[in-house]
Amino acid sequence: MRKAFGAAVAVENLDLRIESGEFVSLLGPSGCGKTTSLRMLAGLEVPTSGTIRIGDRVVNDIAPGKRDIAMVFQSYALYPHMTVAQNIEYPLKKRRIPNPERGPKVAAVAKLLHLEDYLARKPRQLSGGQQQRVALGRALVRDPAVFLLDEPLSNLDAKLRAHMRAELIELHQRIGRTMVYVTHDQLEAMTMSDRIAVLANGRLQQLDTPAMIYRRPANRFVAGFIGTPSMNLIKGHFELGRFVAGDWQLPLDGLDLDEPTSEVTLGIRPEDILIGAAGQPARVKLVEPTGHEAIIQFEIAGHDLTGRVGAEITLRAGEPVALSFRTTNLHLFAGDDGRRLNKEV
Amino acid sequence: MRRSSLAGRIAFNLLAWTLVLLVAFPLIWMILTSVKPQTELFRIPPSFWPTEITFEHYRRLLVETPFLTYMRNSIFLALGTTLLVITLATLGAHSLVRFRYPGRERLAQLVLFTYLLPSVVLIIPLYLLMVKIGISNTLWSLILAYTTFALPYALWLLRSFMAGIPEDLEAAALVDGASRMEAFIDVILPQALPGIISTALFTAILAWNEYLYALVLVNTDSARPLTTGVMTMLISAFNIEWSLLMAASVMMSLPLIVAFAFLQKYLTRGFGAGGVKG
Ligand SMILES: Nc1ncnc2c1ncn2[C@@H]1O[C@H](COP(=O)(O)OP(=O)(O)O)[C@@H](O)[C@H]1O
Ligand SMILES: [Mg+2]
Repeated sequence: MRKAFGAAVAVENLDLRIESGEFVSLLGPSGCGKTTSLRMLAGLEVPTSGTIRIGDRVVNDIAPGKRDIAMVFQSYALYPHMTVAQNIEYPLKKRRIPNPERGPKVAAVAKLLHLEDYLARKPRQLSGGQQQRVALGRALVRDPAVFLLDEPLSNLDAKLRAHMRAELIELHQRIGRTMVYVTHDQLEAMTMSDRIAVLANGRLQQLDTPAMIYRRPANRFVAGFIGTPSMNLIKGHFELGRFVAGDWQLPLDGLDLDEPTSEVTLGIRPEDILIGAAGQPARVKLVEPTGHEAIIQFEIAGHDLTGRVGAEITLRAGEPVALSFRTTNLHLFAGDDGRRLNKEV
Repeated sequence: MRRSSLAGRIAFNLLAWTLVLLVAFPLIWMILTSVKPQTELFRIPPSFWPTEITFEHYRRLLVETPFLTYMRNSIFLALGTTLLVITLATLGAHSLVRFRYPGRERLAQLVLFTYLLPSVVLIIPLYLLMVKIGISNTLWSLILAYTTFALPYALWLLRSFMAGIPEDLEAAALVDGASRMEAFIDVILPQALPGIISTALFTAILAWNEYLYALVLVNTDSARPLTTGVMTMLISAFNIEWSLLMAASVMMSLPLIVAFAFLQKYLTRGFGAGGVKG
């Protein structure tokens, strides 16, 4: 499907198939079209072209309230003039669920989310984490087929975020419903999702499991976006089985290319740089210890590389070292469009 | 620090109270005059406090003149205009803020453009219009005329109120299963209520105090509001019925003063919103 706001295209050619019960994240930098995609799923935006199906029903022309979806907004969007109980009850009311059935449902959700003591309060009398849970409760109470969550944790502080992340994973396991989770935080996407859809500039870059996205990024963008510290990306040529960038040459035996190309970008994950007795001469530029490991800036033949070593290895800035690389883990991307060139074995 | 600011505070209070007295004096004079017997009115030197209090003028006004008809007309006008203007302005402001359609901004500016025309130039066209649609010389024609100048103002005031309501609230209601109208009633209206109340007050005051349109568009006693009614009834070329005029003025001011007393906080909020964003 496609979505344009006037001349500005927010989402281009997005083709996604999400399995029932799956937890899928839409991951990408801010402004890449995640919210727009989610709002199209919800029926709050009309796609400029394309079809949206939920189950086997085309929902393009179906109102948001009739799509059997629930949404948690980044701003929570709790109704300020209603109490917590009334907020959670609202979707039931609008679905004409008879009054006597609503009470127990609200109570059950409140219990699940530990909100029993706050039911009579107004949203502004709650902390950020509690508001977030009310927003979740309002989505849960209806037991919809699909949950849409738009950066639900981004307004929480770091500690609470980690806590809610765990709670959401547990919740998904317990209720087993399809969840579409929008985030710009790769840690959230990597830890929670069954699959991740990486978006950039309104286009789908890759749709795969977190492990595959990390191990086999489909293009240069995904390679650079996923992983902290991010992958080293060096522009150069590929000639006669070796990578050449300026004065630096790296033999790449054991690495097969899908197609013969000369202009390439080489990608090296920080943990695939090894320090040993044998290897290419390099120099340590900077050491940043993080406790259990250290992030090291190396210089090799005029190129900067970021590496990551265990805390047991002590290095000092300026020190000469010998570097080798886990060649089978290296990535090659086309110089023009950045697509992945490695031949998968 | 405290000692020096004490003197400052006294000076400030003195100044403030002088100003209040200056503004309030005509009002006080009005009330006092309305309860003075006729004989005391033109005494020289004038007396401030009445030597004798009488409610005779009020009795005459209520029993012997069409004052109550005018009052009823004014109340009908204020309520009718307010109801019409608020209904149109809340829906219109919501549309201007939320719906996307070509020319939305231009439309909002155009609405304000009607303000640039002095109301006098609109009177004759309006009168002809009223004659054409067959409601000339009725209260309805006045309600319609008042709406023409109260609506743009109300729209702009409410627009700035509604722009402050997060868009996600309405989206959430839609996803929760509400129709557009239900979302508007359940979620938008309660949020906009303070703005609606203050806009309603402004509109009611505008309609209550309007003089020019009422003077030109209506010339039967049965459709005259207080403003023009009292004038034509008590002020002639030869004589001004001061006592009755003052009693009438007191009774005209009463509804506004009561409204102000109860809804003051909304009014000041309305001034704020208009000032900052409108
Ligand atoms: N209502 C709108 N009108 C015009 N452009 C919009 C609108 N909503 C979003 N956009 C544009 O579409 C792009 C994607 O926005 P969005 O989906 O909100 O990104 P994300 O949620 O990934 O940060 C952005 O460039 C944004 O400026
Ligand atoms: Mg967003």
